Amino acid sequence: MNIFFLIILIFFSGAILSFIINKIAPKFSGITTFLTIAVVSFLFFTQVEINSITQFSLGGIQMQFGVNNYTYIFAILVLGLSLLASLYSIKYMQDKGRLGYFYSNFILTVTGMMGIIFSRDFISFFIFWEIMTWSSYLIVIYDGARSSKSGLKYMIFSAIGAYAMLTAIVSIKGSYGTFIISEAIENGAFNFTDHIYIPIMLLIGFAVKAALMPLHVWAPNAYSKSPMSFTAIFSGAMSKMGILGMGLVLASVYSHSTDENAFNVLILRQILGWLGGITAVMATIYALIQTDAKKLLAYSSVAQLGYIIVGLSTGTKLGVMAALFLAIIHAVFKGALFMVAGAVERQVGTTDMTKISGLIRKMPYTFFTALVSIIALAGLPPLGGFVGKWMLYEALITESNNYFLVIVIFFSSTAAFLYSYRFLFGLFLGQEEKEIEHVKEAPVTMLIPMVILALFLIVTGVYPGILFEPIAQGMHYLGYSDVNWDMSILVNVWGEESNMFYINLTIGVVFVVIFLFLTFKGLKGTRYVGTKDISSSGEIPTENENLTFQLDFFKPFQRAAAPLYKRSMNKIWNDLGNALEAIFDFTRRIYTGNGQTYALFVIIFLVILLIFKNTLFTN
Amino acid sequence: MVITPVHYIVVPLIAAFAIPLLSKLHKELFRIVPGIVMFYNIIISFVLMKEVNEVGYISEIIAGWEAPWGINLMITPFSGFLASLISVLGFLIWLYQYRFKKVIDVDEIKSYGILQMMMITGAIGIIITGDIFNLFVFMEIVAITAVSLTSFYRGRDGAEAGFKYLLIGGFASALILLAILILYTQVGTLNMAEIAEKMHTVPIGIKSTILILFIVGFGIEAEMFPLNGWAPDAYSQAPGPTSAAFAGIVVKAGIYGLIRVIYTLFDIEGAFDFLIIAGLVTMIIAEFSAVKQKNLKRMLAYSSIGQMGLVLIAFGIGTKTAVFAALFLMFNHAIIKSLLFMTGSILMYNSKDKTISSIHGIAKNLPFVSIMFAIGAFAIVGLPPFSGFWSKLYVLTAAADKEMIMLIIAILGVSIVEIVYYFRVVSKLYFATDKEHLDIFKPSNNSLIAMGILTITIIVIGLYPDLITGYLHNAADILLDRSSYIDFVLKANVPIQ
Repeated sequence: MNIFFLIILIFFSGAILSFIINKIAPKFSGITTFLTIAVVSFLFFTQVEINSITQFSLGGIQMQFGVNNYTYIFAILVLGLSLLASLYSIKYMQDKGRLGYFYSNFILTVTGMMGIIFSRDFISFFIFWEIMTWSSYLIVIYDGARSSKSGLKYMIFSAIGAYAMLTAIVSIKGSYGTFIISEAIENGAFNFTDHIYIPIMLLIGFAVKAALMPLHVWAPNAYSKSPMSFTAIFSGAMSKMGILGMGLVLASVYSHSTDENAFNVLILRQILGWLGGITAVMATIYALIQTDAKKLLAYSSVAQLGYIIVGLSTGTKLGVMAALFLAIIHAVFKGALFMVAGAVERQVGTTDMTKISGLIRKMPYTFFTALVSIIALAGLPPLGGFVGKWMLYEALITESNNYFLVIVIFFSSTAAFLYSYRFLFGLFLGQEEKEIEHVKEAPVTMLIPMVILALFLIVTGVYPGILFEPIAQGMHYLGYSDVNWDMSILVNVWGEESNMFYINLTIGVVFVVIFLFLTFKGLKGTRYVGTKDISSSGEIPTENENLTFQLDFFKPFQRAAAPLYKRSMNKIWNDLGNALEAIFDFTRRIYTGNGQTYALFVIIFLVILLIFKNTLFTN
Repeated sequence: MVITPVHYIVVPLIAAFAIPLLSKLHKELFRIVPGIVMFYNIIISFVLMKEVNEVGYISEIIAGWEAPWGINLMITPFSGFLASLISVLGFLIWLYQYRFKKVIDVDEIKSYGILQMMMITGAIGIIITGDIFNLFVFMEIVAITAVSLTSFYRGRDGAEAGFKYLLIGGFASALILLAILILYTQVGTLNMAEIAEKMHTVPIGIKSTILILFIVGFGIEAEMFPLNGWAPDAYSQAPGPTSAAFAGIVVKAGIYGLIRVIYTLFDIEGAFDFLIIAGLVTMIIAEFSAVKQKNLKRMLAYSSIGQMGLVLIAFGIGTKTAVFAALFLMFNHAIIKSLLFMTGSILMYNSKDKTISSIHGIAKNLPFVSIMFAIGAFAIVGLPPFSGFWSKLYVLTAAADKEMIMLIIAILGVSIVEIVYYFRVVSKLYFATDKEHLDIFKPSNNSLIAMGILTITIIVIGLYPDLITGYLHNAADILLDRSSYIDFVLKANVPIQ
């Protein structure tokens, strides 16, 4: 049997199996999921050959499965992250209900993503895209009545995106006569001169999943309300499916751009870049005022996707490379952070940052993961986030000369420090409260995936080349030639090299020196103290006094940015929704329920037709 | 005994008269006999479809009078496909309703089984007859049985809905009869093939008048806007199995009449564009109205009207892909909407005030029914990998071939509205837990089997549409091939491949 069909078949049977097993032994539902994904990962990495193509036809439509260097990057990302997330999920979901429902949809979502990666034609692409969408919708509403509204919002926006995409797909068929992606590109579907709306519609479809302004409003709630073990792949991997599509479309558009459509392409580039930039800034600003860690991470996800889209929109070698690198790094650290939030939620019972603090001693491994991931998120050296942002800035400054956008991105990434700090401080630092005395570290099967992700971040920080190699090959597939990379060296246009290895070595040495200095200095009179063992202004705090400042964090900033919070995109969409509801209510009234009115309708219709019969019908 | 098309008509008619007598023997027989007849219909369909695939056309001449003088029944891949679809659905609906209520007044159920059977017979008759006056007669059979089934529950609402149906249905009959009359004065024949042949001699003014009368007449049965006022009331007041039959069978017959008239009888410019516009308006208004409905069956009824609008659009595009897509849509609508009405009626049966909000969270008590309703909802909005996706895709492809971008956007925009109201209901079924449901009405096993068959069909066709596309392609070819239909009936009785 063909390996691609086999993988899809294993996935589908895994989905059914985990549903049935839940009826017999709920414990094993999660393990089945993990095993299914593990088996598929094994098969994928051992059996699938890059650039092999499988042809088949379904419903009279020619379809193709295959993997190329570009989609291979995303395959690694999806399989790796969902494998870890499913391992994490076993304990995380342990005491919750409806496990069969959750796990079978979990597998279906992964199936959808892998199917998207396999598809070389638009129809199977769309089929898997929709499977991914509705199965993830079913997980978003897993929590019941509380989340059904966010779920519906997610579904509506996804449908808008998916149908924009479908419009483009059938138009490609109508105008260029093919559903095969590579043929469509060859036939000029993306040349941006005569069917401009085709790439734009496709971009809209992908932008919804990538949570680009103004189509992002579903994201914060959907991310924060689904179970965290799923959000890890929801935000980590699924949003990257949007990036996958956008990368493909943009690369095709840019590589087909000629002098006659240069202006169109320029406009597209600017609009996308700015939308990405605005998304990054606005989401960051909203992330700042969140008191719930999950919500904070959700907004931060949207912001990070903004950077990636800015990178893609440049279309330059460095920009796209930065975007793809950031995409992978974001998947890793955001996956890790959502797992952290999930671990805290499971062990403490809440993720409200105003209620908990000082978990560092109770959950040290979780803290380690959070720390590493936050450093990567903030883009500080020596971790991967730094490398990605460095390249992004460089691409914007040197290759596309978009200085204003640089300022916007820089602002947003600086503001990201604030919420990063808040996340770390709110959950882990500060004084230990009485309420968290009973809290223990998360179970080991939850820690393993988290720590693996954290270690991966450290390794890629030192040797970003591990990621550059597959990315360079993928970009080669997209049509970028001579993509240079080095295992740990960044080269800028002036020919200056920054070797990450030395940078990291320096940081490491400094760290060790300071550590040793502090240790030796403190060695003499070390006295272990509790967090309440302090005296401020001569007063000794009592046991119940709260000394941490989680409440009204960043109040001044909030006050300064107040006008920005007033107009939210959410409100505009809600108004639109209400207006539509009013229209629906109006049309409903056409059916009066009165038989005489209906009879009148018939007569009027007949008379109108008879009056206009000569204009309506001719020989 | 050789099976011929006339069995479709004769066997149920004999059974209808025999049932009251047979039920004297054993009172269970009045429930069982319609089922046997329906099952025999399926056998007829299988035999005839097999034959049609070999020879192309089957024409049966009644009482030895050859066309165009006598009455003939035509089985083509197109009409045979629809007749088979109706037969299978008819049997499933019987299976679903068999012992739907355990204890029931004997008199009522006696008439119910017979009426249901005659309605299905009438619908098949409309599809297989080759004679326009016969078509009218069968239409009347359908209308009369449908009206009495609508007001089957002898309450105030049922009577009101039945009256509205009767009133509007009366218009339909009158207009179709008038159209046939004028047509007869012009061409002097009632055989459809001969009418089609002589149509070019009719002056355009009269021709378009006849067409308008036909459009309005059949449009009422096909639920075209603004002629569909009767539909929401009839659907929501009729017993559950009847609503399923309305959506799966009666509407199909109406659409068939409209399409047969426009595609075969008339050769006129503008009819196709008119279908697109009428379909678009029907679809948009119906789907918009569905959003705000509080009664589940009413919501399903509006959705059904909307789907019929889409079918009209597809027939209006008129290319081969489009006709194929339209037939696929009719097939999908028949199975999916029947499933939705079957499951929806059981859900509604547990609600006292028949509103959606009173069945929140019922999925815990009725897991199978709810999951099947959910699958039906997923399929009808066109999510892959369910069968509804393919028909929608083919419609869009057909529209894209003609570069009708605005039409594509309109269809997809309306699909989003569909998603909104279906998903609202599905998520409420599963996740709203504010109500305790006591005294749950559970479906009988045979109902579950009937619904299960439909659900499995939806999934299987969704995963592997090639099972059915071959038949649909044949049917689409035949419908578009006007001249060979005429030739076959009138000139040579040689089958045309």
